[in-house]
Amino acid sequence: MSGMLRELRRAPARILTSVLALALAIGAIGVLAVPAVAASSLRAAGERDQIPQLVLTTTELGDDALAALAAEYEQRDDVIALEGQMATAIDVPDAGVVEVVGVDIGNQRVDVIDLDTGRLPATSGEVIASTRLVEAADVAVGDSIALANAGSNGAASTTIDVVGIGNSSYWTAEPVAFVALDDARAIAGSDGYNRVVLTSPSSSTDDLRALADELRADLGAAGVTVTTLPEVIPAGQHPIEEDITQVSVMIGFLGIVAGIVALVLLASTTNTLITERTREAAVMGALGARPRALRRRLRRIAMTIAIAGLLIGIPLGIAVANVIARLVLQEFVGVTPGLAVSIPVIVGSVLFALIGARLVSARAARRVTKAPLAESLRDRDGNPFGRRWSERLLARVRVGGLRARIATRNGWHRRARSVAIAAQITAAIAALMIVASMATTINDFNAAESEPWNWQSQTVVAGSGLDIDRSIADDRSEVAIDTIGLYDDWEIDVRGLAADTEMIDRQVTVGAWFADDRDAVVSEGFASRVGIDVGDRIEVEVASGTTSYDVVGLHRERGRSVFVPTATLATDLGQPEAGNVLFSLDEEPAATPDGIVITDRFTDLTDDEASRNAILLIFGAIGVVVVSVAGLAVASGLAVSVYERRHQVAAMQAIGARRGDIRRIVLGELLPLAAIGIAAGLALGYVGALGIARSFEAADAVEIGFTYATGAIPVAVAVVLFGCVALAAVVVRQVGRRTLAETLRTS
Amino acid sequence: METAPHSPLAPRTSPAPRAPLVRAIDLTRRWGRGDAAQLGVDHVDLSLGSSELVAIVGPSGSGKSTLGALIAGIDRPTSGSLEVAGTRIDGLSRDRLAQWRGRHVGIVFQDFHLLPTLTARENVELAVRLADRSVGRRERRHRALDALAAVGLGDKAKRLPNQLSGGEQQRVAVARAIINRPPLIVADEPTGSLDQAAGHVVADLLAGLTDIGTTVVLITHDAELADGADRVVEMLDGRVHRHLAAGVDVTMSLPAMAVAS
Repeated sequence: MSGMLRELRRAPARILTSVLALALAIGAIGVLAVPAVAASSLRAAGERDQIPQLVLTTTELGDDALAALAAEYEQRDDVIALEGQMATAIDVPDAGVVEVVGVDIGNQRVDVIDLDTGRLPATSGEVIASTRLVEAADVAVGDSIALANAGSNGAASTTIDVVGIGNSSYWTAEPVAFVALDDARAIAGSDGYNRVVLTSPSSSTDDLRALADELRADLGAAGVTVTTLPEVIPAGQHPIEEDITQVSVMIGFLGIVAGIVALVLLASTTNTLITERTREAAVMGALGARPRALRRRLRRIAMTIAIAGLLIGIPLGIAVANVIARLVLQEFVGVTPGLAVSIPVIVGSVLFALIGARLVSARAARRVTKAPLAESLRDRDGNPFGRRWSERLLARVRVGGLRARIATRNGWHRRARSVAIAAQITAAIAALMIVASMATTINDFNAAESEPWNWQSQTVVAGSGLDIDRSIADDRSEVAIDTIGLYDDWEIDVRGLAADTEMIDRQVTVGAWFADDRDAVVSEGFASRVGIDVGDRIEVEVASGTTSYDVVGLHRERGRSVFVPTATLATDLGQPEAGNVLFSLDEEPAATPDGIVITDRFTDLTDDEASRNAILLIFGAIGVVVVSVAGLAVASGLAVSVYERRHQVAAMQAIGARRGDIRRIVLGELLPLAAIGIAAGLALGYVGALGIARSFEAADAVEIGFTYATGAIPVAVAVVLFGCVALAAVVVRQVGRRTLAETLRTS
Repeated sequence: METAPHSPLAPRTSPAPRAPLVRAIDLTRRWGRGDAAQLGVDHVDLSLGSSELVAIVGPSGSGKSTLGALIAGIDRPTSGSLEVAGTRIDGLSRDRLAQWRGRHVGIVFQDFHLLPTLTARENVELAVRLADRSVGRRERRHRALDALAAVGLGDKAKRLPNQLSGGEQQRVAVARAIINRPPLIVADEPTGSLDQAAGHVVADLLAGLTDIGTTVVLITHDAELADGADRVVEMLDGRVHRHLAAGVDVTMSLPAMAVAS
């Protein structure tokens, strides 16, 4: 500790800048802990709530059939418990679509509700509201919620009373009203269940899918149809973990960039501090100190900075990871996680800082201890300008004025520092451009994703089956099917549309729009990523099982979609005359289907920016960290560079140089480096942002596209130029704090 | 010696002013406050005439370098007034003072303080560039070469400081100090880092400047160097202890310095 304080007293500003930069970088690297922190919270909640490993939505399933199914399956080793639920989506004014989930309250063994406040429902009309519903409807325990638009069949126009607030891990991202089974059945106008949930000890996706196939077959034997693709959640996992990991790793890369920038700064600072001790080391060497001991002593400077950076950076990193995890989980899942720490990331950060410090200080320490003692004792600057042939050659170049020559030769003399400053500016510009380009790319992707569609509203019926009679369509509307399928382990949208549909632009990029029963058109980006070509036969798993289609065309739609004739898909799903979505070219469809209907407007759906903004916010925050670290590093590098030459600066002032002259010399050194840094940063930003976009594409098999944020270039350039001018002014002012006489005397 | 009109060794065309070139009244330089305050120069009154070679001598810590720095305008007095070459410099702004220094004073340091990245000629040329922006590049170069020739380094104009000996570096510093033909040269221990032979060369150069109307202030603890001065000002504890006129054997008058030298 005393050694650390002694080091700090030597050059407090430089050391504190390095410590701060390293701490910020370690804090940013802490983002890599977000997946672990999030997973830990999600898994803990999932285990507590008995999150189901299989979820099957079905047509109506009676009490007896469910009881028989449970009795059979709970005998098996791969099933722990099997239960039924009744879920219905309804529209709540000012709160949007709310899931009303009927469960056997108080006796649940699967998808258990964790009550935060209040009590369980005791009588009809009482509900437990999820946190998301509380936020959306702005209600508390004791309030009532009116369920408007509760179906044209008038089955359940009613009011519910909130008696408790709680969540289950499975439903945690949704606004949900948990009610008694009978209440849910009354609202839905049904006498049974429409969901089968089961828990299993299996963590194998394949085993769970096989189990789902058996369950589907048994349900089919009982006359019950599975209406959506079975949802599989391996034991010990949570469905959104993967998404969080993907985003966090991308952001973590920016943290690593910040770390590298901080190490460059650390190298620059320690190099200066060690070089300044050339004479001190030589004196000790002359007195008999061994070079190895001297090197260890010199390296201690870097280790001191690294330890101080770790002491600040690790708590900062833990805080950053937990804040981001909390932000992500609250935004996407509605879970408020407890404090969590990722030991591997902490150990990685410690090794990164300590090994980094050891490496960056080793060269300077070796150079200082290897220099001949006599020379070191005589010459304070162990590396005077003109010692190398390149410097002598440069001294003969008379291009530019004297100030330009001073700047050029100084820049060449301290090449390592010049490269470091240019690299730090490169990192800052690259980070700015990556953040800006990701924002632009995501914006453009969202616009492109909705561009081919022509419908203005879509109406669905509460429940999960094909509940809309296709005959209700008129010349401005169409009953279609929108269901989830599985192709080659990719979750895809299987969309049933009419061959002459007007709901989407039928212009294909390759082949033709479908005409025959088994024809299919596939999203072009998805097709290219999974290797589907026109003429291929593809096998798609849908709710009812595996079916196959012949690919006749590729479409510019950006998602993972397979478009097939509605009648074919309806037949495949076991309900030939039905659909599950009413598309309309009007904002209000002329005719609405029977049941509880929910109509969404196209504009409302495309305006949903919340989740996109959350990701951009996190990207932006880490981008700010990288830019701050780089800014600190450039400022420190420049300050050190000018501080080292304070006697030269003072000598120039003594012979008549004004502050403006010195500022121009400093700028003359900095601006060419800034120009190099800007050019390299723009290129690196392009490559980095493109890489992130491509990795998102590879991970999601969708065509995200890429838009380089050219509009941000003038801003980035202006920021750097303004920063350079401001830095030069501040640095020159700092150097001028002492009188010339004092500066010149202490040389 | 024939000299060009712009040569640093050409006699001044304007007659030397009758008023003292340097006039310090009640000049004080103090660092810190209260009990911890340190006095560098303590209520000094001093007047130096034109074309004088004045040596300021005294033991370490006597305030001679501080007084020299104040006269050269590279330090500011805490109180008192200081007029040099007709300008009250104690109240000038930082930039005005820099401009004034460039035109009115040449400074020679013990450690030379040449810019290591500039050649000898460029170092000298820089002084012209900073003092007078109206001087063209070609003229600057000629004047720099003339100044170097005047100090005997015409053939080493392209050398970097690292390629010159200590004595040669100090002669470059002298050339830099005289190139703008300032009325005042302040040399702080100019021979302190040099061997005897090189020291003599530099001392002779500085002494010769009075012939062209330049006032030279030599700050030194070298009694032999001070011996050749027109006037010797002895400092002690920040105050002017006594003035010794020309012809007095400084070596005898300042025995402590004689031993040191």
